[in-house]
Amino acid sequence: MITYLDVLKGIHTGKICSERDFDLRVFAPKLKEVLKAHEIKYDPENPVPDDDALADDLWRAAMDFYCDVGTYCLDTERIVQFDANEIAQTLKTAPREFAFGEGKERKTLTQRKPEDQTPPWCFLGAAGAAVSSEANLLSLVRGYAEIPVIDSLTSPALTTVEGMRIVGGSPLEIFGAIRAVGLARQALSRAGKPGLPIMNCISTASSAIATIAASQPQFGLRTSDGWPCGTIAEMKVDYGVLSKGAYLLSWGANVCSETAPVLGGYAGGPEGTALVNTAYNILGTVIQKASYQLSFPMHYRFGCNTERRTLWSISLSSQAITRNSRLPLFIIGYVASGPMTEMVLYETAAWIIATVASGAHVEAEGVCKATHVDHFTPMEPGFAAEVAYAATGIKRSFANELVKTLLSRYEEKLNNPPLGKKYQECYNAETGKPSEEYLGLYSRIKTELEDLGLKFKY
Amino acid sequence: MPQKQDILDRLRTGVISGDEELVKLVTQEAIDGGIDPIEIVERGLTPGITEVGAKFERMEAYLTDMMMSADAMKAGMSIVLTKIPRDKIRRQGTVVLGTVKGDIHEIGKNILGALMTAAGLDVLDVGSDVPASVFAQKADEAGAAIIGASALMTTTLPGQKDIVDYLNSTGKRGKHSLLVGGGPTTPQWAEEIGADAYAETATEGVKLALRELERRRKQTN
Repeated sequence: MITYLDVLKGIHTGKICSERDFDLRVFAPKLKEVLKAHEIKYDPENPVPDDDALADDLWRAAMDFYCDVGTYCLDTERIVQFDANEIAQTLKTAPREFAFGEGKERKTLTQRKPEDQTPPWCFLGAAGAAVSSEANLLSLVRGYAEIPVIDSLTSPALTTVEGMRIVGGSPLEIFGAIRAVGLARQALSRAGKPGLPIMNCISTASSAIATIAASQPQFGLRTSDGWPCGTIAEMKVDYGVLSKGAYLLSWGANVCSETAPVLGGYAGGPEGTALVNTAYNILGTVIQKASYQLSFPMHYRFGCNTERRTLWSISLSSQAITRNSRLPLFIIGYVASGPMTEMVLYETAAWIIATVASGAHVEAEGVCKATHVDHFTPMEPGFAAEVAYAATGIKRSFANELVKTLLSRYEEKLNNPPLGKKYQECYNAETGKPSEEYLGLYSRIKTELEDLGLKFKY
Repeated sequence: MPQKQDILDRLRTGVISGDEELVKLVTQEAIDGGIDPIEIVERGLTPGITEVGAKFERMEAYLTDMMMSADAMKAGMSIVLTKIPRDKIRRQGTVVLGTVKGDIHEIGKNILGALMTAAGLDVLDVGSDVPASVFAQKADEAGAAIIGASALMTTTLPGQKDIVDYLNSTGKRGKHSLLVGGGPTTPQWAEEIGADAYAETATEGVKLALRELERRRKQTN
């Protein structure tokens, strides 16, 4: 079995090459070769494919690819590689169950399968999008915690501390990270769910030093939360990622392998993006010793993952991973449009249905591409959870029809999506209640989905 | 000697397929065969890289294809430029591109760089996690009229403002136009910090850079 120390040895002893050579002479040609050999082809007519053999073939292609390409370490300019047998043994003996949360909010996470009758893990909140004030953060987190089926929180990020703008990698980032965690935990307690795991610890921290600093128990985080360690596109790590891992694994915390293949980038088109996303799951177990993979394949042009090609990549890779791997997979949805628009609910329904029917768990969600301050509310993840429960157990062929219908209602607007309104414009931030207008819109879209044949559980 | 058109076609397809060695060989063959070096550039190499840019727009080619084509183009250019008098070389201008301090996200910046190369701009990529002073210093060294600075995180946006502040404090603000982009960047942010242009997408970034260069040329004339 490959250990973390084997990985740390590999980054100093593996084959040395420049990053550009890794991208262009190792990664790119192998990707093309493997896709051709396994005849993986994008099918625009079926954004949710329904072919187990294709999904399994993608898994085998990803294994071939990963065994050959390995993982590139930016700091040492070396490729960490292991042979196919070692990788297979490591995957076969990896843990299957991971516990998150405390007290009555404690739950066990395992892999689902395509068309699984078990609902997905609902990891709900803001996906790290930025809020303008601590008051908004508190109000939003309380709203997320009140979503009935929430299993874990994805907290918003602060942009300022005491009026000072947080700068990544600076000492202010440490203050910001500690402050954001404290506020989120406080809001969870107020909502009566103090044990709920925060699985995007720490939204305000990007550097290893801020993560490690804010992990001190007195600040409110626990080993049973989830700790993202972001890989670097594509198939790369650095000392920062591995240092976080070294600390978190020694502490006994749940490491999250955060991955984001870019459609149009090094991963190429939809086929390459599906393959790279699948290969990342292998990397998550072999290199990062993760408790879950948190992935958000993104379209380079639209900055979201609700576009048709991206949905196909998500669906097929989710099927490949959940049918063949023990490492639980979450997909984070990033929708292009903003709160209080029809489009945000259509996009949300589309990616949730594609993901849940394909076997993955959900992190809902990055609204407005998670790039506009305050442009998100508890409505979108709440709606996402309702759709996720409704989509549990449905056939992929039905999911495919639903997704195609939904795509027809927003696809052409992805170039210029509506920004919608800010939290404080569509919710009463004090009471945490949505406006009548937003409630009316939500009810109307839910009825439309029911008319399409989706049966809501609540 | 094979037909001139055949050689130029091979150059064009060599660039499209990103075959650096082939482009070097055929460029030399073209020069040895007496084809005008300007014609080699304008009817062989440039149409190749332009076609790759168009394929990228249609999502028929992707980042690595563009990077390999850009390498092949540069390999051909390095041979042919030695044969062209300096005053005959027509280039659009130079852009220094990088991701700001504290930010290691590179893909968006790399896509922009490849598209800019395809559009005939000379691109100096200074990488990621780049301090403001390095952007300015490299732009001075390369004679770049434009600095392109990408930031992918809310917490690294201030790195774009640092570039404006640095250029102002060193009295070089007028020498370089600052183009900003990246996920959390908005037109409002660009205006607030005093950047010259904001691009939401890589394609828009290329257009804005060309427009800004044109504006500067007119100003100079």
